[in-house]
Amino acid sequence: MVDFTYRDETYVFNRATRYLARTEPQQRHNYLSRLQPDTVRGNVADAWRFPVLDGAPAGTDANEVTFIYRAWNGRSPAEVAVAGTFGELYQPIPMKAVGDYFSVTVTIPFNQVHRYRFRVDGTWLVDPINPQQVTDARGETWSRFFTDYCTQRLVLETWEANILDRLTALLLPFRTELGRQFLDRSLPHNYRLDESVGVVNYIDKILAREENHRLFDYRTCLSILNEVLRARDFVNEPEAMSRALYEQVLGEMESGNVAGWDLDRYGNPNFFVKLLKRHTVTGAFCHPKYGGNVNGIAWAYLEERFRAEDGGTLFNWRQAVEQPLGNNPDYNG
Amino acid sequence: MDFDVVIIGSGAGGAPIAHTLVNAGKSVLVLDKGPLLRTQSDNLDGISDFKRDELLANGPEKILNLPGVANNGQSYFPSHVEPDLNDEPHIYKDKQGQERATIEGYTANVVGGGTQLYGAVSVRFSREDFALGSLNAGRTDLANDPNGDVPREARDWPLDYDQMEPYYAKAERLVGINGTAQGQIKPFTSGNNTYQTPLEPNPISQIVADGMDTLGMARYRTPLAVITEDHAPSGRTAGNPKTGYVNRYGDPMGYKSNTWVSLLRPIKDNPNFELRPNCHVTHLQAQGDRVTEVHYLDPTGATKVVSGKVVVVACSAIESVRLLHISAARDADFENRINGNNLLGAYFLTHCFGGAEVRLRRRFDKSISLDSDWATDHCANPDWFRGQGLWAGGVMYNNTSDQALPLALARHDGSADLDTTWNGWVGRVFSRANSMPGDQFYDIADFFNQELGTRLSVSFMANQVPVRANRILLHPSIRDKWGLPVALIDKSWHSHDLAVMATLEAQCRAILEQGATQNGGFDNGNLESGFVSGNARIANHILGGARFGTDPTDSVLDPDCRAWNFENLYVADGCFMPTSGGGNPTLTIQANAFRVADRLLASGRI
Ligand SMILES: Cc1cc2nc3c(=O)[nH]c(=O)nc-3n(C[C@H](O)[C@H](O)[C@H](O)COP(=O)(O)OP(=O)(O)OC[C@H]3O[C@@H](n4cnc5c(N)ncnc54)[C@H](O)[C@@H]3O)c2cc1C
Repeated sequence: MVDFTYRDETYVFNRATRYLARTEPQQRHNYLSRLQPDTVRGNVADAWRFPVLDGAPAGTDANEVTFIYRAWNGRSPAEVAVAGTFGELYQPIPMKAVGDYFSVTVTIPFNQVHRYRFRVDGTWLVDPINPQQVTDARGETWSRFFTDYCTQRLVLETWEANILDRLTALLLPFRTELGRQFLDRSLPHNYRLDESVGVVNYIDKILAREENHRLFDYRTCLSILNEVLRARDFVNEPEAMSRALYEQVLGEMESGNVAGWDLDRYGNPNFFVKLLKRHTVTGAFCHPKYGGNVNGIAWAYLEERFRAEDGGTLFNWRQAVEQPLGNNPDYNG
Repeated sequence: MDFDVVIIGSGAGGAPIAHTLVNAGKSVLVLDKGPLLRTQSDNLDGISDFKRDELLANGPEKILNLPGVANNGQSYFPSHVEPDLNDEPHIYKDKQGQERATIEGYTANVVGGGTQLYGAVSVRFSREDFALGSLNAGRTDLANDPNGDVPREARDWPLDYDQMEPYYAKAERLVGINGTAQGQIKPFTSGNNTYQTPLEPNPISQIVADGMDTLGMARYRTPLAVITEDHAPSGRTAGNPKTGYVNRYGDPMGYKSNTWVSLLRPIKDNPNFELRPNCHVTHLQAQGDRVTEVHYLDPTGATKVVSGKVVVVACSAIESVRLLHISAARDADFENRINGNNLLGAYFLTHCFGGAEVRLRRRFDKSISLDSDWATDHCANPDWFRGQGLWAGGVMYNNTSDQALPLALARHDGSADLDTTWNGWVGRVFSRANSMPGDQFYDIADFFNQELGTRLSVSFMANQVPVRANRILLHPSIRDKWGLPVALIDKSWHSHDLAVMATLEAQCRAILEQGATQNGGFDNGNLESGFVSGNARIANHILGGARFGTDPTDSVLDPDCRAWNFENLYVADGCFMPTSGGGNPTLTIQANAFRVADRLLASGRI
């Protein structure tokens, strides 16, 4: 049985009110209909924040995950519980009512992916707020969440990730000889995400959760790109095609004019490049818990590259950041 | 009566009043729509609700979905404590007269308000800032003021610097501020200053110090609301506060002296104090000259009512004006009392601001810093600004922590305001294919090589001319998530503002030019300067709209910040200011709130 706790009222309200409490049922948060139509998720702000992930006490290598259920039909249920792959699948954990919100908090190690459901007055439901869903082998739909430092692939296909890996590598610092030496020295041996220092992993995570509305852009553009690349190189698989070809195609996308690009499917390839640039730099330099910047490697790259005359670094990121990633003695992350 | 006093808003305006009245034994309720985010030491598990995490200052992309506004469909990237634009937009008119949604004009919705995210620059206003009406009376030498608007619209505050001075001292002591008094034009008359000792400046700031010295500008260490020593009044222990996570970040350690850790946490266990976070006040209801009911939505969205002998509104200027307008729209008598002279929302103010920025040949580690190291009152000297044909002056200071971290640097690169985050950077070309033959390959590493730790800026904050047409209204059709009309910000700049800004911009530029030349120099084209001109820009300084004064026909509030025609309604955030002051406003909002609390105690109303 997984350990669970009930956090105090303020804790739950602090994480629920701003997003869920409202009286105007308007689809303000449907990302201009880019998400599947769904009244509850389009009505609330930042549906992706649920269940709520928080830090666990320092040194635990885990998240505190708080499930929050709220009745939307105006009737408050008598009994709400949650069950998922993080515990006994058919032994629901009772959730406690705090105002209209029912909640319970469980501690779940980093880098885990789980599915779960709520049982509301005896009926099993997917989480009406959380947009992440998966279908199991029996065709049943579940809600899903994942914890920090997640490296499991969630939404991108392997071939999509391969093309993305090549594209992001064009933008990133690690292609120079200096950068490559640095990577070889610093990354755990055989780390799968070598050249992109986790950027593709970050993109996979953000498309699964925070920016799920952009999955459409990636799916569509990577599929068109796949065709464009194959039309220019009949011999190799996209992941093995030359760097020069990728540079050429990326340049064409920036100019908006790509030979062989199906504009009916995606009208503005430059917009996709912009998206990619934002995600690439964010994935490279964000806090590693988001799935990129493995071990703070991109920060360490700047730390090593930028030196004062006396040899000391001019980017001492470690002094502000929690251990073991950084070396701040006070801040727990 | 449920409480002696109900205070709406827990930021710079609300918290000092709560602090004072609770210590005086009064029963106080503070309502804040935002969450109570706690520091590491507040939380039993030792984990803070604020983090050193760049993605909390600007989060994932969201898409604006407000049919009818010109920027509908555009991306926005809110922080975790800013209001959500789709839920609670501010609307302004751009220069083409089109309405746009903006995040400008909000501080932060969290207990502590804007002081949770602020850069913490805590300067006093100058003696002249309190007396710009008399100082400009009869002047005809003002630049770009063909119709004499400035002498006509300038107002004295109903109190002078000497009356405010003890409250500055009180705010500095209780909030917890480090800095130096020597070199300031503002006199410290009520005794020794209580500034804590500043930390060593970031080495990059020597350039600014050299520039100011060469130009003969007396300088002082920028007063910052960050503790550098143990702070007895709030029971805080000092640590190392220098990080790149400063402006726009909450402080997980509580070294930044936001109003939660400095003023509210110390009284939180008093039996006569209650704080209700996550409670949005929708409107006030009055009977005659008494506000009898404060209506709010509890954390689940259920409607609640509470009452106090006195009600203090401190939601930050735009939101306070909006709350009063909404209350007035429900009740003609309320409207007549609060807005009988049609001044509620009028004379909305921010600051004239801008500055200069240089890209140096040398690199510095800006990720170990506070918001600013050096400031000068050179341009606040009345001899100086009068000589320039200006009505008022302002402060100049260097920014140390801005763009100190990689993502902040990228997302603010080339963006004009808080609504255009990322826009500049994503337009940069990083791939070789697009470069000219012979161009160097340009990738993200080159970008950081050029920009990270090499940029240094000096800003100015100066008085903006009060203009009646600059005002906060209720939007006729756009509603927030509660179905309430949102604020419409109708404002532009006076031609004299442009003269003020161009003059101070040149001073900031001269500081950098001198300083950088003496410290390794800079390449041609790498010194830039400018000032705000867009209608949206507010610099997080949200002032005016319910100004105080001695004449009920010319102001919304009396000298004690009580609404003229209400017996028990006070307004205590930045909206009381009749002129915006020549410096960042928060210390003055806090000092005034301490003063209002004393006036309240003396009034016999509670
Ligand atoms: C990034 C940033 C940097 C800044 N840097 C500086 C600086 O260096 N120096 C400086 O002087 N100033 C700075 N400021 C400005 C400073 O934050 C404000 O001047 C100050 O906080 C204003 O005080 P206030 O009391 O008017 O409002 P706030 O401090 O914002 O408090 C208003 C409170 O009211 C609450 N509220 C609003 N509406 C309602 C409602 N309807 N019901 C209940 N509660 C409500 C809000 O949640 C908020 O907590 C900065 C601001 C920001 C955002």
